[in-house]
Amino acid sequence: MPTVSATGLIIRGTDWSETSRIVTLWTREFGKVRALAKGGRRPRSPFESALDLLTLCSIVLIRKPGGGLDLLTEARAVERFVGLRQSLTGLYAGVYVAELLGDLTQDDDPHATLFEEAVATLTDLTAGTPPRMLRLLRFEMVLLRELGYAPQLEACAGCRGELVPGPGLGFSPAAGGVVCGRCRVPPRGWRRLTPELWLALRQLVDEASWKQVAAAARRELRGLMDGVVTEHLGHRPRSAAYLRDEG
Amino acid sequence: MAVGEPRGPLASLIEEFCRLPGIGPKSAERLAHHLLAADPAQISDLIAALSRVRDGVHPCRTCFNPTEGDQCDICLDPRRDPQVICVVEQPKDLMALERAAVFKGQYHILQGRIAPLENVGPEKLTVDQLLRRIEENQVRELIMATNPTIEGDGTALYISNLLASTPVKITRLARGLAAGSHLEFANRDALADALEGRRTF
Repeated sequence: MPTVSATGLIIRGTDWSETSRIVTLWTREFGKVRALAKGGRRPRSPFESALDLLTLCSIVLIRKPGGGLDLLTEARAVERFVGLRQSLTGLYAGVYVAELLGDLTQDDDPHATLFEEAVATLTDLTAGTPPRMLRLLRFEMVLLRELGYAPQLEACAGCRGELVPGPGLGFSPAAGGVVCGRCRVPPRGWRRLTPELWLALRQLVDEASWKQVAAAARRELRGLMDGVVTEHLGHRPRSAAYLRDEG
Repeated sequence: MAVGEPRGPLASLIEEFCRLPGIGPKSAERLAHHLLAADPAQISDLIAALSRVRDGVHPCRTCFNPTEGDQCDICLDPRRDPQVICVVEQPKDLMALERAAVFKGQYHILQGRIAPLENVGPEKLTVDQLLRRIEENQVRELIMATNPTIEGDGTALYISNLLASTPVKITRLARGLAAGSHLEFANRDALADALEGRRTF
């Protein structure tokens, strides 16, 4: 069985026995992997304090063929995002990032761009700039794009027709994006899209302008993104109830 | 079922042992066979001890430490300062702190930590009871002794935010180097914590 090195973010951890833990890591090289860390609960182990949630670590894994649980033989913390522990808003936003990475992705499906975005998001959440809620919204948009769920914003997600600003314009998570007045049916999750919100959505997608999203639009974007994530996940993320906008 | 595998009551006993933490199928089988060969009086004692725990042990009404009475020995001890409370996640954390034999205040067991990924919110913990206790006993100091994990720290932060407008002094356990260890072998985080939490001689 091959031994491999990787860099990964701990996104889940459960105690397996008196001394061992099972951890889920989101790695740059292999995507999501689950591994058993024998002795991972002991204070003196080859894992030190690297197995805590939201720790970025360099790891050595023995990969099990056939999708079995990998064996983690070594882990060294690279970054613990200590600042997250000093703000509940930052901490729960970080937990939300971990939940989306864990629940929206498949095992062994690497996305290096998404990995880098997750690390950059946690770094920004730790610093508190840009505003944490905006940073989280941008992460969600990149996540959706990387996984092929990017919302349709430039043409009607229902009929592919041209979108004309007006009172009929809306956003439908079920349809997959912005819908014209004719495609309002079925109305599940439909919400009216003001010109300001439409602009904010397009800014959020754009690498160059996402930081310019107006503060007033963030709350509505949050509700809208909640609907999109819930649509793809099949349920509302557990940590979504803990998210707060610091304003 | 494979040939030679236990059946009936023995299989049930092995299955029950398997549900205990840290016990795998082989250990469960070893325990079951040990009991099978044991003195019937020893088995009766074990059954009686389990029954006593099931029927007689419940959380202390003040601190939630498992006890047979209404309140635990620690809460009833008049030498303990009720105005200094050490907050822990689980009874086993209390036992670990008591082994250090240094703390002379009282405890409060949260019965877990806030873990959004496991659907554990503050409403599932004994936070409300802690707040009531702080108000009724005019608590001076609250020592946060939750585990130094992100969830433990988050729980401590949540409670300290709730008490931000009160005069209660909120502290947390020091972290860093273990006594008797060597700097050379200490990990980066332990050294960083130790430096950050250094004290004047």
